[in-house]
Amino acid sequence: METKYLTEFYHLPEFKNLDGYRKNGGYIQLTKALLMQPQAIIDEVKASGLRGRGGAGFSTGMKWGFLPKNNEPRYLLCNADEGEPGTFKDRMMMEKAPHQLIEGMIISAFAIGSKKSYIYVRGEYEESITTLLTAIQEAYKAGLLGKNILGSGFDHDMDVYRGAGAYICGEETGMISSLEGLKGQPKLKPPFPAVQGFLKKPTIVNNVETLAAVKYILRDGAQGYRKYGTEKSAGTKLFSLSGNVNKPGNYEVPLAYPLKDMINILGGGIKNGKKLKAVIPGGSSAPVMTAEEVERATLDYECLAQMGTMLGSGAIIVIDDSKCMVECLANLTHFYRHESCGQCTPCREGTGWLEKIVHSILSGNGRMEDIDLLIKVADNMKGKTICALSDAAALPVLSFVTKFRDEFEYFVQHGKSKVKGTAYKTPNYIADKGHAHA
Amino acid sequence: MLKCTINGVELEVKEGTSIIQAMFDNHQKIAHYCWHPGLSIAGVCRLCMVEIEGNPRLQIACNTVVTEGMNINNTSSKVQEAVKWGLDFHLINHPLDCPICDQAGECGLQDQYMEFGQYTSEMAEPKQKKRKVVDLGPTIVLDSERCILCSRCVRFTDEVSKTNELGIFNRGDHAEIGTHDGKKLDNRYSLNTVDICPVGALTSKDFRFKQRAWYLKDSDTICNGCSTGCNVKVYFNKEGLFRVKPRFNAEVNGHWMCDDGRNTYKFVNKEARLEKSQEYKNGAWNVTGAAGAVTKSFSKLLASAQPEEIGLVLTGQLTNEEYESILNTFTNTLKTKNIYHWKSPETEKNNFDGLLIRADKNPNTNGLLAAFKKHGISSTWTDLEAKLNSKQIKNLVVIGPENIAVYKDIETQVNLFTKASNLMYFTSAQVAALKASQNIQSVTLIPLKTFIEKSGSFTNHAGKVQAFKKVTTIVSDALNVNEVAQLLAGQEIKLQFVPTENLFIAENLRPDQVRLELRKKNEFFFNKG
Amino acid sequence: MSVNYKTVVQKPADKQWYLLGIATGLAITMKHLLKNLFNKKDMITLNYPEQKYDYSNRFKGNHILTVKKDGAIRCTACMLCATNCPADCITITASEHPSAEVEKYPISYEIDMLRCVFCGYCEEACPVDAIRLGPEWQTPGLNGAEFNYDIKHLAYRASLKGGVQSVVDDKERSKSGI
Repeated sequence: METKYLTEFYHLPEFKNLDGYRKNGGYIQLTKALLMQPQAIIDEVKASGLRGRGGAGFSTGMKWGFLPKNNEPRYLLCNADEGEPGTFKDRMMMEKAPHQLIEGMIISAFAIGSKKSYIYVRGEYEESITTLLTAIQEAYKAGLLGKNILGSGFDHDMDVYRGAGAYICGEETGMISSLEGLKGQPKLKPPFPAVQGFLKKPTIVNNVETLAAVKYILRDGAQGYRKYGTEKSAGTKLFSLSGNVNKPGNYEVPLAYPLKDMINILGGGIKNGKKLKAVIPGGSSAPVMTAEEVERATLDYECLAQMGTMLGSGAIIVIDDSKCMVECLANLTHFYRHESCGQCTPCREGTGWLEKIVHSILSGNGRMEDIDLLIKVADNMKGKTICALSDAAALPVLSFVTKFRDEFEYFVQHGKSKVKGTAYKTPNYIADKGHAHA
Repeated sequence: MLKCTINGVELEVKEGTSIIQAMFDNHQKIAHYCWHPGLSIAGVCRLCMVEIEGNPRLQIACNTVVTEGMNINNTSSKVQEAVKWGLDFHLINHPLDCPICDQAGECGLQDQYMEFGQYTSEMAEPKQKKRKVVDLGPTIVLDSERCILCSRCVRFTDEVSKTNELGIFNRGDHAEIGTHDGKKLDNRYSLNTVDICPVGALTSKDFRFKQRAWYLKDSDTICNGCSTGCNVKVYFNKEGLFRVKPRFNAEVNGHWMCDDGRNTYKFVNKEARLEKSQEYKNGAWNVTGAAGAVTKSFSKLLASAQPEEIGLVLTGQLTNEEYESILNTFTNTLKTKNIYHWKSPETEKNNFDGLLIRADKNPNTNGLLAAFKKHGISSTWTDLEAKLNSKQIKNLVVIGPENIAVYKDIETQVNLFTKASNLMYFTSAQVAALKASQNIQSVTLIPLKTFIEKSGSFTNHAGKVQAFKKVTTIVSDALNVNEVAQLLAGQEIKLQFVPTENLFIAENLRPDQVRLELRKKNEFFFNKG
Repeated sequence: MSVNYKTVVQKPADKQWYLLGIATGLAITMKHLLKNLFNKKDMITLNYPEQKYDYSNRFKGNHILTVKKDGAIRCTACMLCATNCPADCITITASEHPSAEVEKYPISYEIDMLRCVFCGYCEEACPVDAIRLGPEWQTPGLNGAEFNYDIKHLAYRASLKGGVQSVVDDKERSKSGI
């Protein structure tokens, strides 16, 4: 069963508006928070065990703790550049409950002492942007933003920044570069954003879901929040279920929910009565899991890490047994080649190389050594670059090739798919180079 | 000071030093492209991988600061494998242009491949195609395919020249270096980007296809283009000088030099030089004997003349040693004080562009002024004009400039000099203005050596004395001013004949054409044979 | 260790008889004379220049500069041949080609045949099959200048009938990324 915690009132259309939101308990926590000591909020968040919901799963309270303890201006950035293929939870949160995010952000900003925050929204999310802008205007009118919020003496301004459609701008330093008006390219670390980020000032970047959850931690206290999930993976999480299931969509469940229940109960089982073949559990960057692994997996950071994959952004992509894994990988490698920012050599050249190898296998010109070459190339892209895009491109390749090697070998030997029994037809998005590399 | 261990060697480094800098200072080999000591850190080539004890992940040496007790290693098999793959990623889309690439022979990719790579590439797919022979500006040609996107040139225009012309456009493996719309890479330091380009992506239009790198020898010297006195390296072979590149000197020019300074090699080459002494007699120019003998013959003339009848004109383009000896001869032996400083029109302006270029285009104005002070000379140019007009100075010795292009007033001044009844004009350059002059009486032109052909020292604008050594000989018959001074003082000196390395190259002919000419002359021999 | 040696005493001239040796020599000469007289086919010597020896195709004679399909010179002026040449007899002057695909080409390519030692290193060094040592071996000339072969002679002399085509094609080169 779903645990509606963050999404409790999402079914109400008026939850979008300030009035509707206030009717359902909105902005009460903000009033409460503004009377607290900022450090107490940080400690509470730390105690709740809230981990970043954007992909890396780093402890939010700890991240806030890295900020220098001085009066330097600092920024809070909300990462709503939801670019990970398969993820669509932030979009729902922004469209259904913009005030939930805004409240969470004001509380967080108060906790870290930031006077200015930005919501960096993915460029394609037209509706999210308009909803957010309206909500922010409402909040300004109601005195929830701007000078002297609710008479507390705390000033805060909020702005929405629209991305231009680059996957890499979802990486926190890439996002900062983009926000600064530069080319969206990740920056070298160190210095970390908490020390030197947006405009060379201390900056905290958090995901939409993370910031929204802050309000609930204050409402229920750290212990109340810890009611859900496990010791190390506390709280609930939104999962975007997609692929070959009967009922795709966003589902909120406590962490450590069994993956097979997610697919079979919440997702209503595999579409058209086919059999489950593989699952990508955390967005396209996460290593793929086989059907047997799915049986054992629970949806929390530790279990999935133990199984060699990751929770990531919580995008569960279900693949049934009628799909050719070589073609699936071709799709992914194309995506990463297209989205590599081109800064670091291993990623810039490696993503292209991976795509070329997979396509030469698909086109029937593959060599047996290409399969091992894929592993070698991916292996050497891992952990060698500024940001994690190179790893994100390499991990699916490694898992696809090792777990479904027979399908790759069959393709090389016979020039056609083992599952489909047909040769590969180049899809339009790749054949039409003009579009793909525009 | 921090203690650390690099490849088993214990070192002490300053706080805040990056690992790559520490390794560089201690002559340890480390592969790198994007790091340049004069630029900010980009950390994009991912080649300078090192293993740090206690850290499971390899780190890049350029962005990691040395901490106390750090144990660093870049010779382990893990690092070597990473570097090998890093190189392979650089090379998979790099075209095999080496035969026609100007950088071949001094290319970072070639060097690092021989040093750290030495593998067979497994890339079987077609390479990425990009633009070739792109005209970036008046000085530079870009080849995008060869570019490895290290961003050194972009950072140079952003941080050093501050002109911001270059940028990286597009993403991923179709990213390219380029200029913004309608803009050209056109600044006075543009050619530094060619120097720092680790591959042959940026090539200099001036040097393009002139020579292969391995046909050139290099030698250190000081640029004589202006009073900054940049430390440079000149590249030359038997056919002459081909290019000038900067040499690191933190106190003078850092890693850079200006584009104007790179043209200084041109007036040194044979085409621009006076090769034999010439004499104007009976309305015609004739080639006379050896320069030494001609100069010697003047010593008697000067010795017999009254000290007031003798004059000397100097420019700020000679070495300190030469000033000393020539002033010694004129003040002590010939007992004259008629010594004048010929200034180029901008000598006294103290313009400075903030980086390297100064208005005074003479490398050694400060040295000349110091020598004048030492010998108590305080004459003015109007003095000379008056004395020449009143025919008081009859025998005038002029030591003309090497870099004649910056002496824009040469025509007026030459017309002034020719008023002397006996003009000895020592010059390394051909003086067209003198040949065109109408009212010449008795003029002798004697070839001089340029700064490339002699050893000495220049005192730069800040009073820093920089010594340099002889690079090569271009004109055998030319004298240096030390020799001139000794000869004019009537001393017996033995002039050594230094053959040039390009004896067989007659003027304006390629070596092969010369060979052809020589063959034709020897026709009888072949006919008989 | 003792060394055994023997003193050879030459007989005085009047005691020497060469008659047998002379007769043997004459017999061999006569044998070949008669053999050549009656069996002209097997005769080893040739009546040069009326008759010419047929060397194998692999004979390393005069240099040929190959051409591309369109007849332009194949050489890219990389100067590897000149660098590799032990006799220092190759002189190349490179220039910028108007077409970006070609980029660099020689405006002068001269070989001093009197210095050349026909070692074939130039052929080995060439990355694009631009220079070959052909089977031509007669290189007469009336004066020294005639032995300085220029680009016109090396690539387009009459005996080459419009030029020898290189095996390396520009399009293929471009495709395979070299």
